[in-house]
Amino acid sequence: MSLKRSELQINLATNIVIISVSMLFATLFMGYAIYRTSATVWPPMGISRISLVLPSLSTVVLFISSFFCYRVSKNIRKVNFPNAHRNLNLTIVFGVGFLILQGLLWNQMKNTGIYVSSGIFASLNYAFTWIHFAHMVAGLVGLIYLKRVLKPETINLQTKTKSVENFWYFLEIVWIIMFVTLFVF
Amino acid sequence: MNLLKMGVSSSWLDYLRPPQNISTTAHLIDDLFNYTTLMVTIYFILVCIGLFGFSYLYSRKRHKTPYYTYGNKKQHLIFTAFIGAAVFLSIDLNITRIANNDLMNSFWKFPDHKTEKVLRVEVMAQQWLWSFRYTGPDGEFGTSDDIVTNNDLRVPTNTKILFHLTAKDVIHSFFVPNVRLKVDTIPGRITRVWWEVNKPGTYDIACAEMCGTNHYLMKARLTVYTEEEFNKWLSGSTLLAANTNDPSDENLAWGWKWED
Amino acid sequence: MSGGYNEIHPEPTTFWSKYILSFDHKVIAKQFLWYGIFFLGVGGLMAILIRWTLANPGIPFPVLGNLLFPASGGVVPPDTYSMLFTMHGTIMIFYAITPILIGAFGNYCIPLMIGARDMAFPLLNMLSFWFAFLSGAVLLISFFVPLGAADGGWTSYPTLSTLIGSPGMGQTLWCVAIFLFGVSSTMGAVNYVTTVITLRAPGMGYFDMPLTIWGLWLTAILNAIFVPVLGAGVILLILDRVMGTTFFLAGASATSGSGDPVLFQHVFWIFGHPEVYILILPAWGIVSDLLSFFSRKPAFGAKATALSMTAVTVLSTLVYGHHMFTTQMSPLLTQSFMTLTMTISIPSAIFFANWLGTIWRGSIRFDSPMLFSLGVVFVFGLGGLTGLHLGTVTTDLYLHDTYFVVGHFHYTMAASVLLGGFAGIYFWFPKMFGRMMNETMAKIHFWGTMIPLNGIFFGMLIVGYGGMHRRIYNPFVYESLQRLIPVNNIITTSALLMGAFQLVFLYNFIASLLRGPKAESNPWQVGTLEWTIPSPPPHHNYDVIPVVKCGPHELGNPNLKTGRDFQYQTEELVEA
Ligand code: HEA
Ligand code: HEA
Ligand code: CUA
Ligand SMILES: [Cu+2]
Repeated sequence: MSLKRSELQINLATNIVIISVSMLFATLFMGYAIYRTSATVWPPMGISRISLVLPSLSTVVLFISSFFCYRVSKNIRKVNFPNAHRNLNLTIVFGVGFLILQGLLWNQMKNTGIYVSSGIFASLNYAFTWIHFAHMVAGLVGLIYLKRVLKPETINLQTKTKSVENFWYFLEIVWIIMFVTLFVF
Repeated sequence: MNLLKMGVSSSWLDYLRPPQNISTTAHLIDDLFNYTTLMVTIYFILVCIGLFGFSYLYSRKRHKTPYYTYGNKKQHLIFTAFIGAAVFLSIDLNITRIANNDLMNSFWKFPDHKTEKVLRVEVMAQQWLWSFRYTGPDGEFGTSDDIVTNNDLRVPTNTKILFHLTAKDVIHSFFVPNVRLKVDTIPGRITRVWWEVNKPGTYDIACAEMCGTNHYLMKARLTVYTEEEFNKWLSGSTLLAANTNDPSDENLAWGWKWED
Repeated sequence: MSGGYNEIHPEPTTFWSKYILSFDHKVIAKQFLWYGIFFLGVGGLMAILIRWTLANPGIPFPVLGNLLFPASGGVVPPDTYSMLFTMHGTIMIFYAITPILIGAFGNYCIPLMIGARDMAFPLLNMLSFWFAFLSGAVLLISFFVPLGAADGGWTSYPTLSTLIGSPGMGQTLWCVAIFLFGVSSTMGAVNYVTTVITLRAPGMGYFDMPLTIWGLWLTAILNAIFVPVLGAGVILLILDRVMGTTFFLAGASATSGSGDPVLFQHVFWIFGHPEVYILILPAWGIVSDLLSFFSRKPAFGAKATALSMTAVTVLSTLVYGHHMFTTQMSPLLTQSFMTLTMTISIPSAIFFANWLGTIWRGSIRFDSPMLFSLGVVFVFGLGGLTGLHLGTVTTDLYLHDTYFVVGHFHYTMAASVLLGGFAGIYFWFPKMFGRMMNETMAKIHFWGTMIPLNGIFFGMLIVGYGGMHRRIYNPFVYESLQRLIPVNNIITTSALLMGAFQLVFLYNFIASLLRGPKAESNPWQVGTLEWTIPSPPPHHNYDVIPVVKCGPHELGNPNLKTGRDFQYQTEELVEA
């Protein structure tokens, strides 16, 4: 049953969802701040930092993905659907690329002896990336949904695109904060 | 069989009393409690007067036609604002002030064992046991002459007693009803509490934080001695120290360097 | 000012789409209602078992005992006792009160009272119920796994709730259930907030909404913001239990890297304190409306009431630390939380005064919804005021984790919110099911609840001040507590009484449902929108979307010529 809805409703709902999810991440970051400030040495004794290569790469990939995502809505405003589809595909491809890089990151952490159960440092890195990963998957589902409805006759196409897009940007922002707090500092 | 137990207490007023006060600071808490109760009761009586009074006076029978008002006339707003202000000024401000003073002047004024006479005790809580550690003659913790007791805390009167507490497994809470004080014992950190008692006798120490199936059995005995009795016991137990402080017994091999 | 399309959806035809996977907010509301009443029964039964154990340690529980605990010959064993109060607390808060107050009334009242045809997102609405259902199922299953259900208290503090303290599967399932429940609540919240903002009937400004809607709306906002916080908390707890992370592990038993058990307490209460207002805000709203409806005069200072409820909502986010005074936070934090906690009593006192102002010089009808509302005023006075004893640090150092706290929050939740819920059920039953409930039985239910209830909860305050602490299987292993045995007996007797009278309610509810007298469209003679349409309302609620011309509390206006003593919100306001 498809219901006609106003843009206002869709935007409101999206924003509330984003607020909720950001509260979830805010809580995690609060925890991180507390562990970090209460720790005397960071990373704790006997644990080496995680090399910045993969995280940086992920950041770039995710950024490119968001860039194409931004193009999508522009194309739609210009009712240029072929391009919209192309850019949306690229958004998805790079999104998936990000997920793969995360997989590699976990693999690397394991190989450098950082196991999930080896202390608070590892706990934080794994938990953050896992939870962010889960939301990325949700975001991808949104993009794929968008791919299905990406045709002129869809009602509120622009608003729907904007919603998925905003969620995608939101996850990008969360990742950047993670990148800076978890990996750089 | 509960009917038999009914005889335990003499007058129904006893039920309304807290446990006997044995410390120099408990009265602060009792006074604040009574003050709050007094104020709160006044307001609650007001509420009841309104509630029951109006229900009686303005029931459909006695009061056919209601008074049509939104309650947004000037005097109405003043009335509600007044109630709000009254509650804040008469209750909140006072009890907050009193509580704050008590914290500043007593409960948070931790005695310093270098300058005054203080009995220091380290407390280790675990499922489901209280262990207490005294310095012994050398005045140092974590040495072989420490005196360690389990579920058995003995203290002198007229001496400030300063506790440093921690827990081995889960969170517990060190609760002495007769002193009205309670402090959580938390794995990985040290919490502090001090009090001074003045009534010799034996009392209950309880664990007040849910800590597993036998939480309800995690109780210790508090024995309050006069000072000379205490010193007698202490000197007696220094001999005991050797075997109560046995490093091979993991219940007894604990204790840390005391830092203020 | 309808910010959203509001057209009629197709009427469902099959049984399945009509009653099970229904998109209709009215059906979903009823599903939540049954769900809630069922769990109220389960949680209540547990309460009875708890009380029995406390008054008669070591004596088999009559009748059911041998069935439930054959191993111990009908006596509640200590570990089971821990599961009982843990699950009692969890079930009552998340699975009984929340579904009834927020799930049922929220879904039923919001669209009807603001003149909408349904929620903004019916599909989301349905999912919200089925997530709650799944969550409830997981919770019930957890009773039957080895080592039984969670037993660390509804607050489930680590490290007790980690593998150190509770190795069993139960605690993990508890976390999963709570997480699913959080998802359900958030979905509901998205829906409620959006609906209230966009689907109000033309002409209905925010202050023309009934206060019930205000309460539910504020609740939804708090839900959307703070439930995810608990979500994060339980995710980390699950990781600690399943994946071997060490967020909350510390001290001798923590093998690797040191986490912090107290962090969970912060996270839990950042959610937990708003949660208690999430529970009571709908009740406040309902009571504020009903007091006006049955005194036949406008709600006294309705605007002030709405605003002070908003103020409480804002303040409730800033006071959570008052649950953690005994963990020795930094003095500054402790003092700030004490002061902030106190400020909440100002808005509370204001709408309290407004409640009394509402019945002042009214023409009061003592129908059952009104009786329960007046009951709420009484018990919330007690519950709220005892909060002040707990709010000041020094007294809390003594009262924390004693039955005084238990008494306080039962007065606020188990009394205020429960009675508010009953008031709502008696009030909207005719609209929901098109039949009237039996008034005499309702009155019996009221007095049979109200009197024992105070026996229970005031008794708790007394034993609490007497020094009896919480969550103990047998208080009387402490010599110092044996003097309280008689009081505990009174509490237990009252609890049994109260439980028995709830069966009157249950009977009345079901009997009226089947063969109660038909209800006309407006049995209580009030003017809010839901009473302008037949009971029960048609599938699409309103044939034509109503246009609102006046506030929800237009009763007792002397200049009315209509022969009624109230006017519908759809009628032009008659000047007084
Ligand atoms: C619906 C639930 C609800 C509500 C509304 C409240 C309301 C309040 N609560 Fe409560 N509380 C709980 C549910 C609730 N609480 C629960 C569940 C717990 C325990 C959780 C656990 O540990 O398991 C708890 C625990 C709790 C604690 C921690 C105790 C401890 O564990 O040590 C504290 C401490 O400050 C507290 C304080 C307050 C205060 C100050 C209010 C204030 O909001 C009260 C404000 C109201 C008033 C002050 C009354 C106003 C009226 C008047 C003043 C009359 C006006 C006069 C006239 C009109 C004449 N509560
Ligand atoms: C809104 C929530 C709520 C409600 C309504 C209640 C209701 C009751 N509660 Fe509870 N309680 C809590 C929330 C609630 N409680 C919480 C959060 C805790 C803390 C848990 C913890 O420490 O972790 C707690 C803990 C708690 C304790 C402390 C346990 C301990 O610390 O050792 C006790 C002890 O007496 C108690 C008793 C009661 C009693 C006698 C009732 C009575 O009011 C019950 C009366 C109701 C009934 C008897 C059932 C009604 C029957 C029907 C509706 C019909 C039946 C329907 C069917 C069969 C389908 N509760
Ligand atoms: Cu230790 Cu409770
Ligand atoms: Cu609180």
